[in-house]
Formats: sequence, C-alpha cells, structure tokens
Amino acid sequence: MFKYLQLYKSTIFLKVIFVLSIAIIFFIGGITFKHITVLKNSSIWLNKSYEVNTELERLISYIKDAETGQRGYLLSKDDSYLQPYYVSKDLVKVSFDKVSRLTKNSRTQQSNLKKLLYYINKKQNYLSKSLYLIKQNKTDEIELNKNLIEGKIAMDSIRYKIEDMMIAEKNLLNGRQKAYEDTMSYTPIFIYLTLLITLFLITSAFLKMNNDLSVLKKANNVLMVSNEANNLAEIVGNFGSWQLNIENNTYIFSDNEYRLLGHLPQEFEASLESFLKFVHPEDLEFVIEKTKNMSVDNNLPPFTYRIIRKDGQIRYFRGLGRIVENASGNKTFIGTTSDVTEEIYDKKLIEDRNRELETTNKELTAFNYIASHDLQEPLRKIETFISRLVDKDFNNISETGQQYITRIQSSASRMRVLIDDLLQFSRTNKAEKVFEKTDLNSLLENARQELGQLIEDKNAVIENTDLPMLDIIPFQIQQLFVNLIGNSLKYSKENVTPLIKIKSSLIVAKDEELLPKTKDKFYKISVEDNGIGFEQEYANKIFILFNRLHNKNQFDGTGIGLAICKKIVENHKGYIFAEGHPNEGSVFTIYLPTT
Amino acid sequence: MTTDFIYITLADDDEDDRLFFTDAFSELKINTKVNTFNDGVELMDYLNNSESVLPNILFLDLNMPRKNGVECLLEIKQNERFNDIAIAIYSTSSSEEHIEETFVNGANIYIKKPNDFNTLKKILAEVVTLNWQYHTSGLNKDNFLLRM
Repeated sequence: MFKYLQLYKSTIFLKVIFVLSIAIIFFIGGITFKHITVLKNSSIWLNKSYEVNTELERLISYIKDAETGQRGYLLSKDDSYLQPYYVSKDLVKVSFDKVSRLTKNSRTQQSNLKKLLYYINKKQNYLSKSLYLIKQNKTDEIELNKNLIEGKIAMDSIRYKIEDMMIAEKNLLNGRQKAYEDTMSYTPIFIYLTLLITLFLITSAFLKMNNDLSVLKKANNVLMVSNEANNLAEIVGNFGSWQLNIENNTYIFSDNEYRLLGHLPQEFEASLESFLKFVHPEDLEFVIEKTKNMSVDNNLPPFTYRIIRKDGQIRYFRGLGRIVENASGNKTFIGTTSDVTEEIYDKKLIEDRNRELETTNKELTAFNYIASHDLQEPLRKIETFISRLVDKDFNNISETGQQYITRIQSSASRMRVLIDDLLQFSRTNKAEKVFEKTDLNSLLENARQELGQLIEDKNAVIENTDLPMLDIIPFQIQQLFVNLIGNSLKYSKENVTPLIKIKSSLIVAKDEELLPKTKDKFYKISVEDNGIGFEQEYANKIFILFNRLHNKNQFDGTGIGLAICKKIVENHKGYIFAEGHPNEGSVFTIYLPTT
Repeated sequence: MTTDFIYITLADDDEDDRLFFTDAFSELKINTKVNTFNDGVELMDYLNNSESVLPNILFLDLNMPRKNGVECLLEIKQNERFNDIAIAIYSTSSSEEHIEETFVNGANIYIKKPNDFNTLKKILAEVVTLNWQYHTSGLNKDNFLLRM
C-alpha cells in the first residue's frame, strides 16, 4: 500500500517537472527572441551610423564644390564655373534633410544639426553676397576680402561641426555596440545554464518515470500473482467476487462468479440485472430489497438466498460486500458471493440430528422418570403386600408356599437395588454439574455415616490420611467414596477384619506410570483393602456397566457401582484405575485434577 | 368423655396406598381421625369449605391427576386459614428436584413411601407424635427428608 502511495505522489512530481520544463523552454524562447531582436537592431544602428557619416561627408563636399566653383568664377569670370554653385544649394538641402531624418532620434545630433544649418546658411549667404559683389563689378577689394574671410570662417565652423557630428555618431555607435556586446556576452552562458537545468529536470523526470515503471511492473507482477491466487482461492473456496464502479455504475464479475452460476467465465455481460435473472423467483424481492441501499449505506450485510443455476440446479448463495476507497479517492463497491449449499444442507442435517438427539434425551428422561416412579410403585406394593402377608398369614401357608414367598421377597428386593443403582447411574450422567470447593474429609465422613450399619456389621476398620480441598461436585464424590468403600466391604474375606486404607498425595502427571506425560498436577487418592482381590486381567472390565466378576449367589450386586465410579471420575476430568491381587486385596486409585 | 383427636388427611390417587395408610393408622393405637381424598381437586374442595374440620396433619402425594401435590401445596400456603396445618409430602419419589421444590414451597416434612408395612407404621407414628413446633423452627434441608 505504501508503495502505491509513493507512486501516487510521483505523478504529482512528474506534473510539476513537466510544467517547470515548459516554463523554462518558454523562457529560453523569450530570451533568444529578445537577443535576436537586439542583434537585428544593432546592425540597423550600424548601417544608420554609416549612412549618417557618408551623408555628412557628402554634405561637406557639396559645400566645398560650391566654394570651389565660386573661386573658379572669381579667377576666370567664366560662367561655367558657377554651375556647381547653383546645383550645390539644392544638393546641400537634400543631403541635410537626409541627415536630419537619420538622426531624428538623437537629441545631441539634432542640436548639432541646428548649429550646422546656421553655419551652412551663413556660408551660403557669404557665398551669394561675394558673388553678387563680383557680378556688380563693384570691386571693392576690402569688402570682398572681408566677405571671403568670413566665408572661410563659416566654412571652418561647418567642417568642425560636421567632425563633431561624426564623432558623436561614432560615440553613439560605440555605446550601442558596447551594450550589445554586454548583452551578447552573458546570453550564451545564461542559455547554456537554463538548458542544463532543463536537461537535469528532464533527466530526473526520466529516471523517476523509469523507477516508477519498474515499481509498477513489480506491483503488476505481485498483483498478477495475487490475482491468480485469488482465482484459485475462489475455486477452492467455492466463492466468487464482483466489483461495482460507483461512478459509472458498471460491474465486473470474477471468473468463478460465472462458474458458480454454471456459466463459462465472462460468458455474459456483468450487471445487476443479468445476475438477478439467476435469483430464485421466491427470493428475488428479498435480494432486490437487500441490494437496493448498498451504495448509499456503503455496506451490504451478509444475507443468504437461492439461485437457479444454468443447469437448473437450485443452490444457496451467501453475499456480502462493502465500499472500498483507493488512495486517489475512487470508490468501488466490492462483494463476494459464496455457494453455501453444502453448508446449509449440513446445518440442516445437524439440526435434524440435534432434534433427534433432543427427542431421544427427552425419552431417556421420561424413561428415568418411569424407572424412578412408575416401576418403583408396583414393586413397593408387591413388597408391602408380601410384608403384610408375612405378618398376618405366614403361619397359615404351607412350607413350600413359605419358601416361595421368601424367594419372591428376595427377588423384589434385588429388583429394588437394581432400580436404585440404575437411577443413581443416570443421575451421574445429568447435565447440571455444579462444582464447589469442598473438603473431601467431610465427604468421606458422610460416606462413612451412610455405610455405618454395614461397617458395623462387618466390623471393618477404615483408616485415612488427610484429604485435600478440591473443586468438585460434592454429592458425586461422596457417592464415589460410598461405592468404593461399599465395594471393599462387599468383597471382604470371611473371618478377616476388613481393613480399608485411604491415602492422598499431590503428584505430577508425568511421574505416574498410568497418566499421560504432562506437567498437570493431580491429587492421587487410593482406596486399598485386604479383601478377596481379583485377577489383574479384569482390571478394566470391572468398570464396565453390568459387568460382574462373581456369581450373584456368591455376592449380590448389580454391576453398576464401579461403572458409576468411573463416570463420576470422568465427570471431574480425572482417572480411575484398579489393581487386584487374588486373595490379597485390591487397590482403587483415583486421580483428580487440582484445578 | 371427650377425647382429643388428631385429624389426619391424606390426598392420594392410589387406592392401595390409601388402604395401607388407613390400615396403618387403625393398627396404631393413637387417637386419630383419618379421611382420604382421591386427588388434589377433591382435597381443595374439602379444605375450602368453611364448614370442614381442618386437619392437623395433611399428607400430600405428589403425583396425582387433575391437581398434583405441588399445586395443592402452593394453594394452601397462600391461604392464611391453613397456616396451622402441618404438611407432610408423601411420595414414591425421593428425587432431589421434588425434595428441593416442596421444601422451598413450605412443606414441613418429606416422607418416601416405604416398601414395608411395619416401616410405614413406624413412620406414621413418628410423624403424628412429632413435636411440630420444635421441628418447624429447626427445619432445614437435612432434616426435611424423614429417614427411618
């Protein structure tokens, strides 16, 4: 994600570089244009300066021509010498105007021109005045000479002025040339620098783009792999996916979405309408209702519906989706569709089985009730009536009849024991198991009291070490003690005082041969007797319901007592084992977890 | 000479049990007057009749048609007129649920129907001669079930 965010930033970077480059190129263009203009101007100025100089020289030569013509006339009195003099007036005017036009932008030259004009007029006046004097033949030598001298002074002034102007023009040209050279000297470096900067920018942009491209390529590869993984996952997981572009409301279905509908990938155009065609008519309204608000709520909570596949099979689909916004703020609604048909069938199967189990359980409870009440009641009456018969009329019955009655009595009492034991066994199976922290010593004491008569009859001795406090189901553990001690008393040896030793110790599971090798702590409670014992090969069998090792004429019993013990220990997540030595005794070992 | 009778009432749908019950009392040499009802409805009709003589001790079977023992117990405990009646539950079952339920609802003693006539006689004699005041004040779940 971070990588893609960087890419997103780099597009901004590239845009900035692009704009900068364009700006710089425009800038260079502007500078170049300006410099070409300067170059062009400077050549124009150069030309102009030359023209001005040429024209000024021409001007002075015209004036000289006029003077030379006049001088020729003075010496020869030949009119043909006056020809240049007459022409020069017009030529001087033309030439002056031209200079004036060329230098109209220079104030110094203009003021120079004004003075020049003054001197030219003066000179021409003197020229025309001397000519007039000569033509009149008033050979006033003095005046003529004076006139000629002043004409010469005016001529000198003109010459100086024109020299001034030429120098001024040259200065002007020099100044401009210098400015032009200044500009031209730093321009190439400047252009070169800006070009270098542009080059650098473009190069870095290129590098950046290249880098981005490789990142994109990598990302593209990763995307391709994950896309393929996704495709596989969809096939294995039996689900498909779809995307809704919120902006233009177009859908994309994944390949497996099509397969789920029984079609080949991308076989038809993806749209909500084309999908709804598959929805089971009974569920259509429900599906429309569900999908109606999804782009408003930005969420499509999970819901299950049926579809009819292309091959006509009805399948259960579960759909869900939510809006996803990418880094540039584009919103896409993505959703998945999974085929949950098997799941639903399995669930139905489990539900059916659960219902069956519940019914069976109820029947079992009813059976228990029957055992505890309805079976006991007739039995109780049989016993009561027999007891009445024995009390009242026993002596009136024949001897065989009396025997029969005794047999009936013992059978009835055996049946009572069976019913009581069965009830007790089913009670240990009961669901409600309330664990309480209880002192096992007091439970043992209760058990002893319960067996008080039997212990007294057998003259038994029961020894015990201190027992722990444990989190247990009190009435069950008491029952456990009653059954184990009762068992030891029942299978005691005749003519030997029964000795029952109860010991307790805290142990770790892995130290005990018979326990799984874990570090769990257990309380080991053993009940050891000096009774008739049993062959070790029966050690496991004796815990099985209705399993008896002895003939019932030898020892009465139902084969339920030890099965109850096992059940109780299992209820406490503990273990029970038996160890027997024929004619020596037996040891029952219980392991109860400490927590 | 007027003799103080102890009035005993039994509600039990079982004919044999009613027979054992009355037989036991007739064999016991105690001044008792015993009347029996076949179910809870008959019993409550009798008790609710203001002219009836209220029993000193009422024996209630739990499992009866129409109205069972627990329903009778609840009705009796709601009526102050019956405050002086000692209630003995008299049932075949000795299941923890039944004992718990009747104890919580205010029965005074719980008797499991014995399977021997002589035991029955012993139990009934014990119950009738019980000092109810003493028994009730020290009543707890352990001495609620009568053990013989």
